[in-house]
Amino acid sequence: MIEIKDLHKSYKMGSNSLHVLKGINFKVEEGELVAIMGSSGSGKSTLLNILGMLDGADSGEYNLDGVPIKNLSETKAAQYRNKFLGFIFQSFNLINYKSALENVALPLYYQKVPRKERQEKAMKYLERVGLKPWASHLPSELSGGQKQRVAIARAMAAEPKVLLADEPTGALDSTTSYEVMDLIQKINDEGNTILVVTHEEDIAHMCKRIVHLKDGVIVEDKKIEQVRAEQYV
Amino acid sequence: MFDRDVWQEIFNTIKTNKLRTFLTGFSVGWAIFILVMLLASVNGMENGFYNQFNDDATNSIFVRPGVTSKAYGGFEAGRRIQLENDDMEYLSKSFPEDIEFISARYYTNVTARYKSETGTYSLQATNPEHQFIEKTIVTSGRYFNEADQINKAKVAVIGKKVAEDLFKDEEPLGKFVELNGLSFRVIGIFTDDGDVNAEQRVYAPLSTYQRIYGNTSNINMIALTYNPTYDVPRALEFSEKLEDLMKRRHRIDPDDQAGMYVFNYAEAYDNINSFTAVLRGVGIGVAFLILIAGIVGIGNIMVFTIKERTKEIGVRKALGARPNQIINLVLLESVFITTISGFVGLLFAWMILAAIGPTIQSPAFSNPSVNTATVVTATVILIVAGVLAGLIPAMKAANVKPIVALSDK
Repeated sequence: MIEIKDLHKSYKMGSNSLHVLKGINFKVEEGELVAIMGSSGSGKSTLLNILGMLDGADSGEYNLDGVPIKNLSETKAAQYRNKFLGFIFQSFNLINYKSALENVALPLYYQKVPRKERQEKAMKYLERVGLKPWASHLPSELSGGQKQRVAIARAMAAEPKVLLADEPTGALDSTTSYEVMDLIQKINDEGNTILVVTHEEDIAHMCKRIVHLKDGVIVEDKKIEQVRAEQYV
Repeated sequence: MFDRDVWQEIFNTIKTNKLRTFLTGFSVGWAIFILVMLLASVNGMENGFYNQFNDDATNSIFVRPGVTSKAYGGFEAGRRIQLENDDMEYLSKSFPEDIEFISARYYTNVTARYKSETGTYSLQATNPEHQFIEKTIVTSGRYFNEADQINKAKVAVIGKKVAEDLFKDEEPLGKFVELNGLSFRVIGIFTDDGDVNAEQRVYAPLSTYQRIYGNTSNINMIALTYNPTYDVPRALEFSEKLEDLMKRRHRIDPDDQAGMYVFNYAEAYDNINSFTAVLRGVGIGVAFLILIAGIVGIGNIMVFTIKERTKEIGVRKALGARPNQIINLVLLESVFITTISGFVGLLFAWMILAAIGPTIQSPAFSNPSVNTATVVTATVILIVAGVLAGLIPAMKAANVKPIVALSDK
């Protein structure tokens, strides 16, 4: 699904150049649930930015579902993001004047799905995250866990190839964190490919594979026994 | 453009920044208000000018003799020029193509009497074609014709005001009115658009009056209309030719401005048109300068809004919004604010003009009003202004990196 070969990225800081990613090789198969771990400065955010087509690499290859991702124009990148990727953010990033349903429908709007169909589809995904009764509520009327579930529904609405979650439990207490992870595990059970960036050990162990980044290189890449979040909920 | 989601966003940003939107919108509304008022004033001036001679055909030329100011052709200066019937015939023969209607005019004041009512009115003795030059509208009866002219018939066409003064409730048609003691049959009553004074006039056949006043063939002036298909330069060329010819005929120095006046409405209209065009240009210019302040204001508020919404725009981009969709959104919002506030200004100006406009009636200024051209001008300016105001903010918004959605600080 995802194939990365010898990926390099450096940032210019004045006259100095900061080499952030120093040759990443990395492969994700369909249906995997991968945790990307690392302390701050390890390059995990930069990797996620590149995976999310929010930033370009200096050198190396990146193939997503067989499509080479290279030198994209803004418009093309937007189209690819819309088609291939679903984002889940630490701070949810719901649009505060849109109802839960409208938030979920937003990626479909950018896919130019007709309004009615959009709403039906959005409602379907809201139901899947168990928030159908809250469809008409504004984000400000929802709890943190509910917001993240709306965000997950939004990420899934466009039926992307890969879900990218950036610290999805970072802003949640442990109980709600497990609820969210439970949902992520269930979505993964259905065959969706998911990448989770986290620095929390327990969250990482709820995935099926942990990739450890340190100083711009992968220091560890191991398959693990998945801890089901269900038991903590 | 007529997308519900787009409008929902626009209304939301406006709603969350009500005061800010109002204040900046006000500057645009104010500019448009001033623009419309200025244009309406120019309109009013134009109306005022045209009213000065709007009872005549716009393609009229008047030939009036004067007193020479230069010695020429063996004559001393100070010679009074007299036009006669021959002059008119000469002109109509010389310019058969150029002249539409031509008539001589002979004026005098008459005391008119019917039964016990009397009044003093100005009388114009003319040829039948004069009706079309002066745009006399005969409301009942008829104008005099060629037969009346040949028979030197004592018939009169009287103004509406004259009819009201002398005949009160009686029907004047067919009655005899005494003009300076001579009995004339009333054959028609006329009214004249826009000129109340004209309705206090009496028209009679030229030949009749020339006989009454000592069998003369003198006339006071010649009025004519040129071929209505002529444009201004062609009309001016014609009237110059006509002036040259008349001056030669009466042995007046070609450079003598006093000996013969040829007054061409085309020239006057042309002058007024260029004058009001300049005024209108100045008006638009001034209003546009004021509008620039408004544009900067709107641009400012938009930049601010974009800054506040940077994260949201980033999220939208991460979700797949294309740059041009973001640009559209910002431009539409900007055009929306400018257009709405502009139209409020326009509406205010229109209401004020509708309320006070008709009450202003002075010779140089009448009925200032908003016409379609003004509304179209204002609309075009507003949309252009909106696009200009939104341009920089839109580019700023389009350049927002979707990474900001991920940087949770």
